[in-house]
Amino acid sequence: MKRYYLIITLLLIAATAAQAQINLNLALNSRPQPWLSEWGNPVNGIMIITYTTGAAGGDPNIKIRTTLLNESGNVIGLSNINAARPYVLRPGVNQFTMADALQLQNLNLSGSIKNQMQRSGRLASGQYQLMVELTNNTGDVVRAKQTRPFFMTAYQLPVLMQPANGAELDAHVAQSVITFRWTSLVPSTQERPVYRVQVFEIMPGQQPMQAFRGNRPLLDEQAPQGSTQYIWRTNLPMLDSTANKQFIWTVQTLDIDGQPIPTNDMNVQGRSEPAIFNIVNQMGTINNAVKKKD
Amino acid sequence: MKKPVSLLFLLFGFVTPLLAQQSPKVTVSGDVGVSYEYYGLDKMPETSIPNFYPARKPWNLFRYTFDPIISVGGWSIPFNFNFTSPPANFTTPSLGGLGNIGKQSFWQFLTNPANSFGIRPKIGTTEILLGTQYLKYSDLSTGDLGIFGYGVNLSPGKFRIKFFNGTSQSPVNYVAPVLPNPGIVGAYQRNQWMGQLGMEKEGKYFVGFNFVHSGDVQNSVSSPPLPPILPQENMVISFLATATTSTGWNYHIELGQSFHTRDLTTPLSVSPVEDLKPFLTSHTSTDKDNAVMLGIDKKGKDWELGAKMNYHGAGYYTAGYPFMNNDRIEYLGNTRFNAWKKKINVVASIGERYGNLSHTAGPNTTSQLIANINAFTQFTERFSLNMNFNNFGFNSPGILGYKSVSNELSINPVYTWSNTKMSQLISGTYTWSKYNETTTSGTTSNNTQTALLMYVPTWFTSKWSPDLSVMWFKDITTLTTLNLLNATAGVSWKASKKFSLKGQLQYNLSTTSPFTADKNLLGTLSFDWKIYQKLSWQFALTGNLYHYGSDLPGSSLFPVYIGNPQYFESTMRTGLQYRF
Repeated sequence: MKRYYLIITLLLIAATAAQAQINLNLALNSRPQPWLSEWGNPVNGIMIITYTTGAAGGDPNIKIRTTLLNESGNVIGLSNINAARPYVLRPGVNQFTMADALQLQNLNLSGSIKNQMQRSGRLASGQYQLMVELTNNTGDVVRAKQTRPFFMTAYQLPVLMQPANGAELDAHVAQSVITFRWTSLVPSTQERPVYRVQVFEIMPGQQPMQAFRGNRPLLDEQAPQGSTQYIWRTNLPMLDSTANKQFIWTVQTLDIDGQPIPTNDMNVQGRSEPAIFNIVNQMGTINNAVKKKD
Repeated sequence: MKKPVSLLFLLFGFVTPLLAQQSPKVTVSGDVGVSYEYYGLDKMPETSIPNFYPARKPWNLFRYTFDPIISVGGWSIPFNFNFTSPPANFTTPSLGGLGNIGKQSFWQFLTNPANSFGIRPKIGTTEILLGTQYLKYSDLSTGDLGIFGYGVNLSPGKFRIKFFNGTSQSPVNYVAPVLPNPGIVGAYQRNQWMGQLGMEKEGKYFVGFNFVHSGDVQNSVSSPPLPPILPQENMVISFLATATTSTGWNYHIELGQSFHTRDLTTPLSVSPVEDLKPFLTSHTSTDKDNAVMLGIDKKGKDWELGAKMNYHGAGYYTAGYPFMNNDRIEYLGNTRFNAWKKKINVVASIGERYGNLSHTAGPNTTSQLIANINAFTQFTERFSLNMNFNNFGFNSPGILGYKSVSNELSINPVYTWSNTKMSQLISGTYTWSKYNETTTSGTTSNNTQTALLMYVPTWFTSKWSPDLSVMWFKDITTLTTLNLLNATAGVSWKASKKFSLKGQLQYNLSTTSPFTADKNLLGTLSFDWKIYQKLSWQFALTGNLYHYGSDLPGSSLFPVYIGNPQYFESTMRTGLQYRF
């Protein structure tokens, strides 16, 4: 029996040596970046094609056929093999990015998925599979194939709740304490995010966004981890007429490593849409009113 | 440097002949001022790990404002210059700012978002815009950012034609962090142009289109910022129509479409989004999405009723509002009315916001309820009562779901009484606030109560006006309880029509159980002196002495400090202002 095994093994080795061999290794991050256009970044993984030339030589020309499947295994996107870029493999290891494997510019997506991609550049949150086939130049012979599952999710930044945009706070309370509240990061994460509360004074003559973009924050503190409330003990004089009259605030959402959560804002800073609040000296107003009246 | 020099040349080249021209009369209004703020911080211990109280202001800050309006003949030339030195940028990169690396070039100084140098000469229906301008075209196109550049507003007859071209972000090279230096994240130069074509009859209607384009200049930096800061391009076209009828109805509608390229280094591609010629060439990272704003309201003599709806698609971006939240739809109804012989005034609103409509951030749509009602009643000439209630609820369902509910009720009675010599006022405010957060690990509660009592006696013939207040604040959470007691006494002295002095002393006791109290004394002295009829001098000096309780023992610091830490924070703010 051992003799037969040996013969079969030798025959297989001979066949392999005579023919060229292509091995495909799709090392896809199981939670890649939500924007498919960013899959060229190494963090999303790498595609390695190993090409071994045989004694009888071989065809180094390949094309990539990409199929995107949903959780149920239904095809939601398929690349056009005729428009696929032809590659000539070098003997040995050939490295490609995940963007090369995905071929976004050559991917025909089905109706609603196409609409979603056009509108947001992202897939709906959920489980997907990426199938990559290496074919000959005409696309009718599959020379290697691999499928990898991945989970797609993006995040939505918190919305500021309190003080609401345009709110007026009593100076007598605000010069000692101001309570900030906001909604949570969506979806919730296993590791609780870090929320940094940042408050900027809008100086006389400044536009709110000028203060936000140009000033140093009076408060830049981390809320208790995971909590969406922060109590600021201000200790600022607010009854004086020249200072601390108007503020703009935001929450910066950071991951456990202190990096801004990658969300769908243009600024990639993890900062929520800021809100403005005003400090009103009720007593000063009353005092002046009484004097004027009399 | 070519750009700023040419722009300044334009600016002064334009203004000088205007002043020298025919006009016999030149009038100047507005004001000009300079202010300086000193900040000091003395800590005991001076240095420690961790840093128990970091400085919260720049040590020295000069601020200059120059806002005159020069009128020459038919021309009106408003200036709006205000700028800061040294730069203190925090959310935007800047040389010479935090970390004090490098020095700004003149162009970077002019285009620094902290600074503003703008003039808007106007004659008849023509307005020329030069320098920094904060232009609001509409809610879906542009309005938030200051842009340094040039443009024009024309309003011949019913037509409205606007154009502006400039830079909203100057280029800043990336500088790697080398401890203790934080480095600079860097930024691409962002150029922006915008235009509006429309028709308007003031107070009646406006109808028109807005166009806003922004693009990052990839070769504007020799050391480009690192991802995720990527060169972007954005184009927004919006249609805006507003109308007011003679019967008091107001209508507002805006429809916007945005094209946004997240990364200009990605390959050119007409999939998934086709080019928008001649404005934008698509890349694989280009999205296209829509936004809608609808509003209707009617104002009566003693009432007002309104409703609005906003929708922002998941891929709707505009460089004019770079922090705008998208992927949401919201409805809001609001009302205001007077009742009981106009003694009651009620303002109320209720709305709901739904987020994550695209389901890209989890499988579920989030919902947020926002409700607010404020009722003010003037019962008698002496007694009034203000009541406010607001509710915020947020729900993000799912396996890792999150829910929060915030309810806040505030009651504020005010009583005044007077005789021939004096008037007295007593005001109380009580606020009860409950905030619950529910996650997979359970519910945490925050119960907050605030009580404030104020007393203001006013002698009609006296130059002195004192005021007194006491405040109590308590926050009970699942884990801790914070108690805060505060007493404030203030006095103002109006020595003459030209000089007034104010002083205030505040003492705080804040206790976080089970620790001993933190103690804090805050003193402020300020004066306002009208030196001449047009020149005034403001001065304010503040001292803040803070002594920690056992919640921050010196033994928790390195090196170990015997006793509890404390700090003294001082601020001196002074400014001269000249009114033309």
